[in-house]
Amino acid sequence: MTTTIFFATDIHGSDICWSKFLNAGKFYGADQLILGGDMTGKAVVPFIHQGGSNYRVTLLEQIFEITTEDELMEMKKKVRSRGYYPYLTNPDEIQELEKSPEKVNAIFEQEVLKVVQQWMELAEKKLAGTGMKIYCCPGNDDMDEVDDVIRESRVVELAEGNVTMLASGHEMIASGWSNRTPWNTHREEDENQLAARYEAMISQLKNPQASIFNIHVPPYKSGLDEAPELDKDLRPVLAGNSMIPVGSTALRSAIEKTQPLLSLHGHIHEGRGSTRIGKTLVINPGSMYEQGTLLGAIIKLGKNKVENYVLTTG
Amino acid sequence: MSDLFVRKATGMVRSWSVFDAFIYAFFSINLVTLGFYSFSQMYYFGGGMIPALIISAAFIIFEVVVYASLIAVMPRSGGDYVWQTRVFGGGIGFILSITGWWFTLWLWTPIYGDMLRQIVLTPLLGAFGFQEAAVWIAGQGTPLFVSSLLTLLFVALVIFLGMKSYARVQKYSFYAGMLGLLIVLVLLFTGSPEKFKAGLDANSASYFGTSGSLYEPTAQAGVDAFASTPMTGGTFGLIMVTLPYLVFFNLWPNWGATLYGEVRGATDYKRNFSGMAWALGVTTLLAIIFFLGVNRTIGWDFYVQANGAWWNYAWGYVTEAPPLPVWPNPAMLAVFLTDNRLIQIIVLLLMSTWWFGWAGTLFLSSTRVIFAAAFDRLLPEKAAELNDRGTPVNAMLYMILPAIVVAAMYAYNLAGFRSITLAATQGIAIMYFGTAIAAIILPYKKKELFEASPIAKMKVAGIPLITVAGLIFGGFLLFLLVEWFFDPWLNTGGVPPGLYGISIANTNSIIFLGSCYAIAAAIYYGFKSKRKSEGIDMDKVTAEIPVE
Repeated sequence: MTTTIFFATDIHGSDICWSKFLNAGKFYGADQLILGGDMTGKAVVPFIHQGGSNYRVTLLEQIFEITTEDELMEMKKKVRSRGYYPYLTNPDEIQELEKSPEKVNAIFEQEVLKVVQQWMELAEKKLAGTGMKIYCCPGNDDMDEVDDVIRESRVVELAEGNVTMLASGHEMIASGWSNRTPWNTHREEDENQLAARYEAMISQLKNPQASIFNIHVPPYKSGLDEAPELDKDLRPVLAGNSMIPVGSTALRSAIEKTQPLLSLHGHIHEGRGSTRIGKTLVINPGSMYEQGTLLGAIIKLGKNKVENYVLTTG
Repeated sequence: MSDLFVRKATGMVRSWSVFDAFIYAFFSINLVTLGFYSFSQMYYFGGGMIPALIISAAFIIFEVVVYASLIAVMPRSGGDYVWQTRVFGGGIGFILSITGWWFTLWLWTPIYGDMLRQIVLTPLLGAFGFQEAAVWIAGQGTPLFVSSLLTLLFVALVIFLGMKSYARVQKYSFYAGMLGLLIVLVLLFTGSPEKFKAGLDANSASYFGTSGSLYEPTAQAGVDAFASTPMTGGTFGLIMVTLPYLVFFNLWPNWGATLYGEVRGATDYKRNFSGMAWALGVTTLLAIIFFLGVNRTIGWDFYVQANGAWWNYAWGYVTEAPPLPVWPNPAMLAVFLTDNRLIQIIVLLLMSTWWFGWAGTLFLSSTRVIFAAAFDRLLPEKAAELNDRGTPVNAMLYMILPAIVVAAMYAYNLAGFRSITLAATQGIAIMYFGTAIAAIILPYKKKELFEASPIAKMKVAGIPLITVAGLIFGGFLLFLLVEWFFDPWLNTGGVPPGLYGISIANTNSIIFLGSCYAIAAAIYYGFKSKRKSEGIDMDKVTAEIPVE
């Protein structure tokens, strides 16, 4: 059975990218949608009340003075388009938040989950009854609570840690866990633990060579895992000219051994590309979420082969 | 007061050092390789070199604004190819970028090879006493081809080792090269014309086996070659006419410009701008100091005449080799001011690092654009294939094999290839022109993208800065293109090849450039048609998905 899959990843809280993702099936003629990890945003932008209907907002180090309700709505949209979360506050609360990282974390959790909930509702509104399937697997930047919100959805299927039978009959394993990063994110672990995680899923596959791996982190030294080398202060060394592979060695071994049909990845936004590891087609479509551009990949799959594929810029 | 709360998440890196960014941009407008080489070829102009340097830098600063702005709006996107594709759509971006970053780089290979032998091999062989080898490698035909092959070998080694290693080589080369240049400048400013004349005769005899006095015969050969470029002065018109040649040296502060990690704001734009702008400013200043040093000791007139004497021979206008039988490398002429051979060798080695720290990136952008096109399925999948070591073998072959052919044509001057040196700049400038147009219209064609960028509020009289900078830089490029294609020398009844050698009167140049664009168009439309037959609509995969 031939199927057309659209895969995108690392949309990091961008409303625009989520809406585009939901529309991508119809736009590209895909019948199944797969979203890789890192759905959630990285920053909260305070809208600081200045009295009356006035707010001061600093976005990308540019100060905006908001004076009307329309401007407020427009600014919220602009902030959301970059995947950031607008937060209405006042100077007193800001001072309090500066002293209390726990309170900031609580705001993050509240805003992240609110947006994921809105996204699930939008997915239901747009796709319920269309027959379009969405498979989603949060990534290392996504807090665990995100999974619970997705589980509640009737349109979006949570794929983390499972062998999922796609509508086309292909088996897919999925995980958003990554190898260790300098940021100590929500879902990361040592390579041996990753190896065990992958093996637990691979051992359940009935036809491993016709399966799909949907693993957030790319395989080590695949060319899809090149990121700037950082110093201990997380500063790119040599002005970002020194690129190093940061993918997972455990995943690479798993792909080399299992030789699935297709392996889908994200995590390294600048690692856009495709390659082959043995017979396996390996894809990282990259991410430009902050520009509201949905990078993705269309893959036409036959029963036991990849018939065609292309990376997209939508 | 906090204006942004950020959580721990992948990729939240801090800004890189502006000084590091400066080093890489500084090496791209490389004073010792591109600079010394192009200055020497510009021996027949009427505009002063110092005012030309200043005026060209004043225009090129707008190039820096354009590229820093585009990087801020579309970071991590891979440069001209993606920017143009995003703003114009598929075809134009592909054809301009593939030609500019891929095909044109074939022609740069023998030019890099020429610099390798003139800057590194010839003086060092001479310094170590290999007189015949030193003179042979400086000669025409096979020596240039051999040097081009050595260049390709070095570039292949860099790609094989990877940018992680080479970026460090570049940084060490910066310090070594600067030390070498400092010593050269000290020699130039502390020497005297008399000492130079004596040193020239003695050392040239020792290095290259010449005999007798070289100064007067060299100067006369330069006069016969109509060497006349002044250091200062010249009318504004004459100075402007020098710019289409001078940009061979300084049009590249954006080379390899990139930005990694999350863009947090306008500061990132300023850091990127600063790295490139400081590189342009410091290089321009160093070039002026170098000219003043040359004038003090070597003598400006002799410097220009020696260059004229060499290039008149190298370009085949005369068949008799000049009295100094090698390129008058100014660093070598400066070390002739000391009699200490060990110091000479150390300085020449230090000055060689300007080439080694620069030449390794010859195919860096080419590899990126080949990969980007392959990922867009506009080249075969194998083009982006990596071997077990992670080396892009096929992309390397796509560069190296045609480069060998072009290097041979250039070295042996087949089809008049040696006259089209500036086409190497022209091809990239045409691509830059496309990027300048993209920058001009970006705020209007991609309004939402622009409005949500860190440069949205940067305006001049209400017009976005990127548009204003794009208009000035684009206007400058248009001027260069008009001068190149409609050479002013030919318009006044002069005979080809004219001032720049790449006018419409030079059929070789037009055929080369035209062939490059024709091949690019054939690849684009050929693959587009192939993918269509496979059920992939290439227009659709780059079109924006509706949001609503």
